Amino acid sequence: MLIAAPLAAHVGSPDVFFQGDAGPYQLVVSIRTPQMIPGVAEIQIRSSAPGVRQIKIVPLYIVGEGSKYPPPPDVLLPSKDDPQFFSGKLWLMASGSWQVRIEADGDAGSGTIAVPVPAAARNTMPMQKSLGALLAGLMVLLVAGIVSIVGAARREGQLEPGEQAGPAQKRAARIVMAGAFVIVVALLAGGAFWWKSAAATLSDRMIYKAPELFVSLVPGDQMILHIGDSKWHTRRPETVATPLMPDHGHLIHLFLIRTPQLDRFYHLHPVPDKAGVFLDDLPPIAAGHYQVFADIVRVSGFPDTLTAEIDIPETAGKPLSGDDSTVTAEPISAGSQNAKDANASLISLLSDGTRMIWERAPGPLPASQLLWFKFRVEDAKGKPVKSLEPYMGMAGHAEFVRSDLSVFAHVHPDGSVPMAAVQLADATLPAKLGAAEASSSPAKPEMNMAGMAMGPIGSEVSFPYGFPKSGVYRIFVQVKYNGRVETGVFDAEVK
Amino acid sequence: MGQTVPFGISAPSVERASSIAHSAPIPWFVWSGIVSVSSICFGLYWDISWHMTIGRDTFWTPAHLLIQFGGILAAVTCTYLIFSTTFSHDPAVQSSSVKVWGFRGPLGAFLTAWGGVTMVTSAPFDNWWHNSFGLDVEILSPPHVVLGWGILGVGIGYLVLVVSAKNRATGAVRMKLTWLFLYLAGLSLMLHMILISEYSDANLMHSAVFYRVVMLGTPLLIMGYAIASEHKWGATIVSAIYMAVMLGGLWGMPLFAAQPKLGPVYTNVTHMVPMGFPVLLIFPAIVFDLVRARLAGRNKWLLALVAGTVYLVTLILIQWPFGSFMISPLARNWFFGTIYFPYQEPVSMHRLAYQFQKYEPTRAAFWLGLGRAWIYVFLSTRIGIAFGGWLLKVRR
Repeated sequence: MLIAAPLAAHVGSPDVFFQGDAGPYQLVVSIRTPQMIPGVAEIQIRSSAPGVRQIKIVPLYIVGEGSKYPPPPDVLLPSKDDPQFFSGKLWLMASGSWQVRIEADGDAGSGTIAVPVPAAARNTMPMQKSLGALLAGLMVLLVAGIVSIVGAARREGQLEPGEQAGPAQKRAARIVMAGAFVIVVALLAGGAFWWKSAAATLSDRMIYKAPELFVSLVPGDQMILHIGDSKWHTRRPETVATPLMPDHGHLIHLFLIRTPQLDRFYHLHPVPDKAGVFLDDLPPIAAGHYQVFADIVRVSGFPDTLTAEIDIPETAGKPLSGDDSTVTAEPISAGSQNAKDANASLISLLSDGTRMIWERAPGPLPASQLLWFKFRVEDAKGKPVKSLEPYMGMAGHAEFVRSDLSVFAHVHPDGSVPMAAVQLADATLPAKLGAAEASSSPAKPEMNMAGMAMGPIGSEVSFPYGFPKSGVYRIFVQVKYNGRVETGVFDAEVK
Repeated sequence: MGQTVPFGISAPSVERASSIAHSAPIPWFVWSGIVSVSSICFGLYWDISWHMTIGRDTFWTPAHLLIQFGGILAAVTCTYLIFSTTFSHDPAVQSSSVKVWGFRGPLGAFLTAWGGVTMVTSAPFDNWWHNSFGLDVEILSPPHVVLGWGILGVGIGYLVLVVSAKNRATGAVRMKLTWLFLYLAGLSLMLHMILISEYSDANLMHSAVFYRVVMLGTPLLIMGYAIASEHKWGATIVSAIYMAVMLGGLWGMPLFAAQPKLGPVYTNVTHMVPMGFPVLLIFPAIVFDLVRARLAGRNKWLLALVAGTVYLVTLILIQWPFGSFMISPLARNWFFGTIYFPYQEPVSMHRLAYQFQKYEPTRAAFWLGLGRAWIYVFLSTRIGIAFGGWLLKVRR
């Protein structure tokens, strides 16, 4: 099994996809974060309706001293072909819990929205062979050059014009050149050593590492989760290493997925015990090797997805309760010989005879592109159900998992960022701050979470998301209907 | 008659040298050097100020363009000098050059060309470094050090070009070239001081590290340039030029309105943020000149020991109380400039600039540090004497 590259918020899925309303305009935002931070992210925004004339963006931290002085906004460039599409660059100068404030102006007036952008450096870039060869060639040239120049300086530099260098000068020049060569090589060796250590220090200081997650089972069918330390986090006390806050009413969302088939899926909500420790009374669980993903959000708005693996024996457990849910599915059609079959599964039968339909055109899906994932729930006769109910305050939850577990993303109809972070960022908008001060009750995201539940949802739910790379993915789509959580399971081939 | 003046400069050995020298203009490449090195130095200062104020960094910032212009001007000048010498049919031109890889040209031109190629080499390296380890977060990264070596090559190359022209000239031209040499020397001292600026903040002026770092390079440069200039007050003038340029930056940059174009913004900057008040090198430099005059012709090791020691003692006597002044509220004004902070500096950290940092944990470490500073100043001054002596003898 491949080791999943850990990334803040999700695993292997660093880009941000979001939809929301900036005043009168509904915007869909995708942000491609850079591999290394400080770096420049690409931002693309599409308005769902015409009438937007200008879009401006400002990046700033969600909390702390760095959130007080927004830099002047950048104006996004409109597309020549599509007047509703705007794009630009977003400068992220440090890893941390960022937001980008988007201000849209147009026929219907202006509106602002804040989109959280958890930014974390992912990787250093190895030097391309051609560049390495070029630099090595230049190095040889420069070394030979400086040694020759030093030799010429000694041989002829101090001779009166017209005088010829004698054997004494030539001999001295050779000695000086040898000495210069030794010094230059010593400097280069020192430089190489320094380069190596500087690169190692930078990588260690800058590359994101998720806190370790220690998972164990205790008698009584309980799972204990212990969140370890991460120096990457403690080095950023203000914007990252802050206490946890509830997201959808829970401090932690735990996903257990049986590997390698991905045929058992559990979405659980352990409860806090002592500091950094959570306990979960397990439901009935089929024996097997499980991949553990645990989503947390900090009060800075910074999310982490912690990972671990565990062997779980057949567990009698307690019946599912509260917001916990599970589903059993066919083994994923990984292994690629069945990859084409992956696209056949556009219908997922739910537990009570209803079924979930994935509304999409046939054929493989593209990677690295914002896609809309639309699902419809209908009864056995093909009639759309009356109305889905909010599940933890949302119309639905979708988990995208790559067959090798190198990608895991927990997405909502509003996008790929945690809703708790969205509300935190939203509360910092000048208009909201003014309102909060006026009513002397600052906005508290966790209190408002239930308020996110919208009116009647209808029978459809959709999610904005983009696959980070090609491969076979399994999508778990979770909705609530008739007071019960139902999970549809779909496979997708991504090219 | 029939004598050609190599590179526009008369050679003392040439017949009628003095009459030519009086009428000969300053060679054109000297002006190119003045423009090129000034452009690189001011560009560098601007770039650092840009990073502290505006932050957003592209290849095309005006500060970068100024640095690149200096590098390109140097490259074009020296390529022309080398090619025109190599293919010149004039034996006088050929005979006052040095030979490298079959090419002939003035020694300084080869050094400057080397510096130019090194500067160019740093560009793709730096670009890769940014992609791999992030946009600039520090001054002292490996590609920046390559750039620094390139700038050093260009600077030293031009200094050698000018000093060799001076050494061959006489009369008024020699005096003019001496002043132009001192100006370039002052800029080169400024570049060095920018490199060590991280260790020359006011809050380190009561720590040995401040004196240790200043003693590493400044005696070498100031003594070397003073000797090569043959000017009685050479050391004083070189350090005065460094201080004048830095003060110009300190007082001039904040006149221009600017604001950060990047988040997170920690300090609400409204004008260009300058670098700090210069180190008061002029005082030890005056003492350098006095000791130099007093010990002229004596043993060079003795000169290094005496001049180096008084250089260190004078700097401590001046800079120590000045440090106390600089962290006091009296210095918090535009003149002394302890009111400026880069946009990346959290307001909660500003107080650190107003209290001495205890760099050495113990008293013993402090005295050990000062002892090292004394060894450095001695060796640095001695190397400076040798460097100055070599520059003085450059003829080509």
